[in-house]
Amino acid sequence: MVDNPPVLQLQTHWLPTRASIERLMLMKIEFWLNQPNQNKRSISEIVWATGDIRQALAELSPIVPLKVRRQIERLLQPWPQGRYTPAYHRSGGILNLFTPQWGEHQDEVWNKMLAEWHAQTFPDDQARYAARAELEQRWNNTPHPFFAGLTPAQVMVGGGKQEAKLADEFLNYLQKYYSKTEFESEGDMLINTLMVLRSWQLQPLSNGKTPQQIILAERTELLNRRARILAERA
Amino acid sequence: MAKRTRRESTKPQVRSVYHEWIHIADQVIAEKEAEPRPDNWQQLALEWCTSNEAERSALASYIATYHKKLGVEWARDMLRLEVFLQANHQCAIVTHYKRALRAYPRCALIEAWVVGHILRHDGEIWQAREMCLNAAAELPTLAAPFYELGFIHYLLGDFAGALEHFNQAAMRVTAEEAEQAARIFYNRAIMQLALTNDTQAAIAAITEALHYKPDYAQAKEALHALKHTWRWFQW
Repeated sequence: MVDNPPVLQLQTHWLPTRASIERLMLMKIEFWLNQPNQNKRSISEIVWATGDIRQALAELSPIVPLKVRRQIERLLQPWPQGRYTPAYHRSGGILNLFTPQWGEHQDEVWNKMLAEWHAQTFPDDQARYAARAELEQRWNNTPHPFFAGLTPAQVMVGGGKQEAKLADEFLNYLQKYYSKTEFESEGDMLINTLMVLRSWQLQPLSNGKTPQQIILAERTELLNRRARILAERA
Repeated sequence: MAKRTRRESTKPQVRSVYHEWIHIADQVIAEKEAEPRPDNWQQLALEWCTSNEAERSALASYIATYHKKLGVEWARDMLRLEVFLQANHQCAIVTHYKRALRAYPRCALIEAWVVGHILRHDGEIWQAREMCLNAAAELPTLAAPFYELGFIHYLLGDFAGALEHFNQAAMRVTAEEAEQAARIFYNRAIMQLALTNDTQAAIAAITEALHYKPDYAQAKEALHALKHTWRWFQW
């Protein structure tokens, strides 16, 4: 007899594009890393507190596939001191699940900030580098139009328990929506899915808050917890 | 052992469907006695493709710049595009643009006409955004590229960006473009509501949309919802 055997849950989701399937996997892993373990710290929190990724990986069940292990290892890497460029390769959660892939070269916000920095004159290199560092922190903490209004820091931290629940509810709703809707093309399906998502995220729930407000508040809280844990470690 | 049946390629079928659309478009063009010739292709393209003065001027300027690279075949392709646009045949518009018109020098006006179809049929958000930005820069007096940019930013979840572009579109749309004006004012109202929760402002903006298109079902429904019990309504 085995105590607490690993439970394998099978879920079916219908999604409009192959890219969103890949992102869904990543999103689920991000949620899982932020789930508190039996009222203890989440895996992310353990890594923030110890700085030791190996310990977290060692606690994974042997059935976790290699591909998923690699994703987890990547997600648990220490965040950069400067600009959070790994945010381009995070899921961005349910609010970004269907946004077609984009990257650093398309980031108009950063490119504009950088162009302004280049145009400025500085008394010396030290001032120049300090301004650049300040600029990178500003980018990290400014809501980004291509991340559905999340800041890169909010994208980096991943979603929590509440977002995981909301995402499941939305994906279940989407399945029902697809079963009664016909689409003329894959593009038509993607655009309609995005329209449904944007309507849903603004719709107040029974507690009066919209999914968007709940998601943003939870990600901010996760960032605050991370800051507290890192401060304790230091 | 069972003999494996040969799977037929879908490519020839797709090709024949496109050629069938072209054939139908050519029939429409022939019925209207609008055969492009070396002596009339510029005039035909201008007369057929737009009645809007600003657009006509932009198209004339494009023809003047690239007339050596354009010609009778280009005019025929433009007339076919117009037939597809009139029929609102999204798949034919997108396919024809990609297979025929994209081979000519880039034209911001043609892109402004087809971009909404590319977005809604192919879901190519980033390509559509780039085309809209180009059209907005090249043809700053047109409302359509700004409207599409507003819609794209809404899809991206950037509601402030969407509102900004809808505001730009509202400043440019003319009374003759009533259908488009109604959509712009309605969508602007929805974005204002999402960002500020100001019901009175939304009611005023939706009333303005209904002024342009009194039978706008979505706007009527939204207005009813706002005046009675607040609830969210779809785009």
